[in-house]
Amino acid sequence: MKKVLSVLLLVTLTTALLAACGSSDSKSENANNAGNTGKKKVVAWAWDPSFNGAALKIAEDLYKKENPDFELEVVDMAKTDLEQKLNTNLAAGVKDGLPDIILVNDPNIQKYVTAYPNTFADFTDKADFSQFSPYKVDALTVDGKVYGVPFDIGVTGMFYRTDILEEAGFTAADLENITWDRYIEIGQIVKEKTGKYMSTINPNDEALTSILLQSGGSWYITPENKGNFVDNPVMTETLRVYKAIADSGIAKPVTGWSEFVGSFNAGDVATVVSGVWQIASIMDAKDQSGKWAVAPIPRLNIEQGVNASNEGGSSWFVLDGSANKELAIDFLTKTIGGSSEFYERFLNENGGVGSYIPAFSSDAYSQTSEFFGGQAIYKDFTEWSTKVPGISLGMYTQEAKDALKNELPNILNGADLTQSLANIQKLFEQQVR
Amino acid sequence: MGGKWNKSSLIGWQFVALPSALILLFSFYPMVQSLLLSFQSGKGTVYSYVGIDNYIRLFSDPMFLQAVFNTLLYLVIQVPIMLFLGLLIAHLLNMPNLRFKGFYRTAIFLPCVTSLVSYAVLFKSIFSLDGIANQLLMSLHIINEPIAWLMDPVWARIVIIAAITWRWTGYNMIFYLSAMQNIDPSIYEAASIDGASKTRQFFSITVPMLKPILLFTAIISTNGTLQLFDEVVNITNGGPGNSTMTISQYIYNLSFVYTPNFGYAATVSYAIVIIVAVLALIQLKVGGEKR
Repeated sequence: MKKVLSVLLLVTLTTALLAACGSSDSKSENANNAGNTGKKKVVAWAWDPSFNGAALKIAEDLYKKENPDFELEVVDMAKTDLEQKLNTNLAAGVKDGLPDIILVNDPNIQKYVTAYPNTFADFTDKADFSQFSPYKVDALTVDGKVYGVPFDIGVTGMFYRTDILEEAGFTAADLENITWDRYIEIGQIVKEKTGKYMSTINPNDEALTSILLQSGGSWYITPENKGNFVDNPVMTETLRVYKAIADSGIAKPVTGWSEFVGSFNAGDVATVVSGVWQIASIMDAKDQSGKWAVAPIPRLNIEQGVNASNEGGSSWFVLDGSANKELAIDFLTKTIGGSSEFYERFLNENGGVGSYIPAFSSDAYSQTSEFFGGQAIYKDFTEWSTKVPGISLGMYTQEAKDALKNELPNILNGADLTQSLANIQKLFEQQVR
Repeated sequence: MGGKWNKSSLIGWQFVALPSALILLFSFYPMVQSLLLSFQSGKGTVYSYVGIDNYIRLFSDPMFLQAVFNTLLYLVIQVPIMLFLGLLIAHLLNMPNLRFKGFYRTAIFLPCVTSLVSYAVLFKSIFSLDGIANQLLMSLHIINEPIAWLMDPVWARIVIIAAITWRWTGYNMIFYLSAMQNIDPSIYEAASIDGASKTRQFFSITVPMLKPILLFTAIISTNGTLQLFDEVVNITNGGPGNSTMTISQYIYNLSFVYTPNFGYAATVSYAIVIIVAVLALIQLKVGGEKR
């Protein structure tokens, strides 16, 4: 009797287990069938429902006008979760759970394309890339092929508090097209006269060094994925400026993103050098309406230094193995990859700025902002975006940033810069083998 | 007799078979696979066997050595402090004439039920530049300028150690407390009659009686510290300048932050396995029962 019971128990357990496996299989089959027969459904992964997710909804809306059968499912998850899921799926060679369209952060582009060959669809002849800001297309190009559709950009500007700078005796004209050395001088006067910091500094975050490097047309690594620390005048100048800012005492030290945002929302700092997407956070402080303006960022004091740079930005990829590959490509190229209307709506509804040049002349981009004292901020940002030097972000950006971070405390403590740069280069080369 | 034994053991094996199969499939199989993976190198899905190159690389990889150094530093400083504090608090809470015992026990154990990420975020805000730690010290006139806790390598490590100690002391205390309650009070009584002081009793009776538990907590704390991840990622994210990065965080970076090299990441994971095994062996030799 006992034996019968135990066998029965075993059988029940086993069937339950198998049933569990089985049901999930049939589920995914159903989903696939729905995609093939009934409505044409494309699945996309994105990480911000009020920004890039919302952009897809606008694109879907536009695309549906001509393709009423089309259906889009946007799966929202945190950015790190999305990247982890993609990495583990691709590394395991399991492509069942992956979507058709995926959002990729620009510094990851080369990494993904090289680490997972034949995984992402080639867009080279699918869209007219001459209509986009060149630096954005450069970031998407690996070995002469373009691997996606450019999406939002992070063209930088120097946001500043007009009231604080006025109190210190500066007008808007004093802040146009200055160098970083002038910026520090202004900062010292501001600190002296108003007691406010000029900016924030976070030695654990590479945002500022990245902005400085790109404004000089350089990057942490060369297009051949070698370390770009030694014999690179832009790198030397970048770190000189960085140390000068740290030493001058004009920057409030912060340790994280929320402290950084908190510093300008609380009115502790006079300027914020950041990407165009920072507008939303700046405008969170409703009481500061009318007290802000934006100027081009300061430039490096070298020949190729310009008053424009970029921070962040992302692009849309299509997975090569997806069942709806052609449909997904068609959807992206006809909306995000070639519709002025899309970019106008994206700006009006979500404050998002793209790199599609034809849209820049539209009404939406020339609107003025009351919060920024009636300045046509988007028009300014898009104008600067055409001046951003194009660079190759390469495969090992994060490794190079960490190598720099390792030595940064020594540099700030006054170590010999040439020696420090040699150390960073060596560390980086040991990292990427 | 033989037949009966066989029958019942057959039933027993039937019960064991399924869990064993599951453990083999979901625990041992991945272990073997990751061991194989640790002999490969490459990017993403492009891998090739490189023999023991990955293991040789470990010794010349400054990031890995830094991570090992940081992790061992936490281990050497934090684990003894925490275990001693746990022991001391357990001893105080075990005093027969202490009032509000339940309240104290709950209060000291409570940190253990908080989520790792949320307490890490709290510590980060406490030790931020305008956090309450600085405000408190400044209002007491102990310091004049706020200390940038998380931007200085030494202070950042101290904050991490303080955080882990806060989180895990109560956990170890509970083990000690339950073990102390199993010590026969008559031993203490006899010691008192013989004229042993309270301190003497603590070190000559309590501590030796707790030896197996002390060994157990030392091994699990060592193991836990070597796998430290959540606190460091959330409080300092390894900074300033990788000076608080742990081995686990380095594994994460190799897999998900850098250009993915799961082969080398698996090698680093096996390095942790080896370190844990060696340390546990030493602890068993030093503190274990002699047989």
